[in-house]
Amino acid sequence: MNDDNPSNDGEPTIEHTNSPLSRRALLGASAAATISLAGCLSDEADEADDGGTTDDDAADDGGPEETQSFDELPVVEDPPDKVYKPTHREPFVHLEMVEAGEYMLLPHFTYPHQFWLMSGAEAVEERPTVEDSMHLMVAFWDSETGAILPVDAGAEMVITQDGEQVGEPVAPWPMLAQEMGFHFGDNVAVPDDGTYTVELTMNPIGVRKTGAFEGRFEETVNATFELEYSDQQRQELLANTEFLDEDEWGEPGALEPTDHGDHDHDEHESDDHGGHGDDSHEHGDDDSHEHSDEDGHEHGNDDGHGSHDIPSPSLPPAEEYPGQDLGTHTSGDAAFVVRYLEGTRLADEGENYLLVSPRTPHNRFPLPDMSLSVDGDVEAELVQTLDSDQGHHYGASVTLEPGDEFDLIVESPPQVARHQGYETAFIEMPPMTVEVPDE
Amino acid sequence: MTLPSIDAHTRRGYLKRLVAVGGTAALAACVELSPGDEAVPTGDPTNRPASQHAWNDVLRSDADGNLLAPEHHILLPLELEGEPDERSREQVEQTFRSLERAYEFSPDGVLFTVNYSPAYFEAIGESPPIPRPEPLTSIEGNIDLDDADVLIHLASDSPQVVLEAEEALLGNEPEPNGVEMEAALTDIFAPGDPRRTGFVGEGLPVEMAREEGIDLPEELHEDAPFLMGFRSGFAEAQAPESRVTIDDGPYEGGSTMHIESLELNLRQWFEQDDHFLRVAQMFSPEHAQEELVGEIGERLDQSTGVFGDIADRTADDARTEGLVGHAQKAARARDEDGTPPLLRRDFNTLDGGSAGVHFLSHQRTIADFVRVREAMAGEDLSLGRRLNNGILQYIFVRSRGNYLTPPRSLRALPTESA
Repeated sequence: MNDDNPSNDGEPTIEHTNSPLSRRALLGASAAATISLAGCLSDEADEADDGGTTDDDAADDGGPEETQSFDELPVVEDPPDKVYKPTHREPFVHLEMVEAGEYMLLPHFTYPHQFWLMSGAEAVEERPTVEDSMHLMVAFWDSETGAILPVDAGAEMVITQDGEQVGEPVAPWPMLAQEMGFHFGDNVAVPDDGTYTVELTMNPIGVRKTGAFEGRFEETVNATFELEYSDQQRQELLANTEFLDEDEWGEPGALEPTDHGDHDHDEHESDDHGGHGDDSHEHGDDDSHEHSDEDGHEHGNDDGHGSHDIPSPSLPPAEEYPGQDLGTHTSGDAAFVVRYLEGTRLADEGENYLLVSPRTPHNRFPLPDMSLSVDGDVEAELVQTLDSDQGHHYGASVTLEPGDEFDLIVESPPQVARHQGYETAFIEMPPMTVEVPDE
Repeated sequence: MTLPSIDAHTRRGYLKRLVAVGGTAALAACVELSPGDEAVPTGDPTNRPASQHAWNDVLRSDADGNLLAPEHHILLPLELEGEPDERSREQVEQTFRSLERAYEFSPDGVLFTVNYSPAYFEAIGESPPIPRPEPLTSIEGNIDLDDADVLIHLASDSPQVVLEAEEALLGNEPEPNGVEMEAALTDIFAPGDPRRTGFVGEGLPVEMAREEGIDLPEELHEDAPFLMGFRSGFAEAQAPESRVTIDDGPYEGGSTMHIESLELNLRQWFEQDDHFLRVAQMFSPEHAQEELVGEIGERLDQSTGVFGDIADRTADDARTEGLVGHAQKAARARDEDGTPPLLRRDFNTLDGGSAGVHFLSHQRTIADFVRVREAMAGEDLSLGRRLNNGILQYIFVRSRGNYLTPPRSLRALPTESA
């Protein structure tokens, strides 16, 4: 029953049955067909690709998880202790944006892949297991202002199917990825192809909030979204992974963030970002953008891109920050914009304010969950803050005099989890010396 | 709920599942499975402590002298149906005495407490001596709040006994352990919602997790008594019973009880974290660095070693280590002399097919619990709400309940006007 036609629409044209063995057989055959088309062959795929399928073939095939996995993607051996370019860019499947309380959420997923958890000054690699089905992520921002809120609010996800819980509840890890900045995510497992509902709970943000953010983000909000998972799609995502030129692998630098802002639905995105891989309307082999309800890739408001724009995940460049410029410093390959603000509401009564905005060096993503302090002519612990004007930063009320000097100390590096390319940077972070100009 | 299939489970697991199912059919299956077991010792209602929560004298201890909870637990919720008058009070008291005659006061028999919620007191028109439950941290906005009138906590090393005792209370078993029930709770109380069950003891979590298809790393020791892999209930980390006993007022000699039911994510805990991280997050970064704990806590004897320097360092560790431990945080709420305010009798659960814990705690006042729970939440620390903040990444609070555990003399429909 297998359809040999290479220009299938992504759906297996095979009869579905309820028997797990025959479902496995179907997947094995269609996955093999797709993989051979993409030119990424494994021995098992060769054997199974005979234009037909029997249960025996499937049993030998060992199932789609073993035919192709992220493990076969090349990695950078010996990356530098800096932000570096990985070997490839991951294709995402974007789901519909969901409004939940004060937040706008953008769930998306890709194939399961490794990431690094931070425990203090150590990055611990997390590799997916064979059961993992996808790397599920949620980007979120303030629906009112579009501001990114890159902090751990202790979010939680529960996956259900037909009202029954699937697996354990999961608190997704706050994470940083070159393609998309701050988000939370994890590798998750679902037992089978199918449609699942994800119930997401966003909890109040406990980080200091100032300006128009004072008193906001204090509610527990719930959102649900649906996702359709198929092993075949996972294989297609793998097969459609876009590689960088080999001479770029491991080079200091970063993948450009996926650009959503100017995206026009009815056109294929230009090659600014390397093409198909970062297209937010991932359709595998399908080159025409069909936005039917069935495939769930609908963009809510695709006319004026009003409040449903996906905001930039980057912080403003240093030049745009107010106050006295105390330099942009570097430590552990992160850039630290340091400013001294007088007469600002951010400071305690009668004091001025030291504002430090750490960011990734190339994409200017915020670096949350650090512990920073200053020591020298002024001593203070900096407090992580979300301000409606200045965004994410670390600050303290201080009073500085011309000629003052102090060290900006990283007591612990950003604990946010890292996608590939960020796991060797922002770990060893020596103190930076800041001098207040004499005049 | 249908009975589990005996072929799919080990015998111990099967018995566990029967407790989870409950009811007369489960009881019958349990009896069938263990014919010819040693006779369960009967009891003497005239020889009981004045405090319902005073179990310590009859609990077993481990090799280090730490007390061990009974293996099987049932939390039976009940709704008041009848009038709380003298006649009902007498019937209820006779029911409990009958149970005390049927089973020895020990883990070989049955241990039980009868606990009353604020809903009960409101139902009888009195001002509740404990507050209504509410979310206590900022990551539990959706929790259920217990509101059954009464909760009976039953515990025994024998799954058959604990099931049979429950059925006897409900009037479904007229001769538990061969001893006639003089009364039952029928017509005064009706079973409420949700019924909860659990287990605790060496080896049980591994056994049960396997049954549920939870992946276990080699590092998880077969003998771990709790699902998260570590021993708990160290003597130095538990309040003595006197510390949790109400010492004045109408319910002097009683206690309060808080139950926090939570779900676990064991996949992240075991498959993503390594042993070093688990120790650091359960105890403290120093415990991990100095290897103070061992695989399941076997290097700790009667103390977790967190009180004092390690607890005092919590805020600093948050900044310099980027990570703090659960025990370290909670120990900040101990009394000045190091006495913990809580007597924890928590146990594992697989209710609803989900790995979890019913965290049952006795304390003199609910405010004691709140204080410890806030210290454990560590929201004052320079850390994310869950990330690297003890075990908060892996636990999900689902419900809370507050109860009065009256002294034994007032366990039957207590009222201040008595």
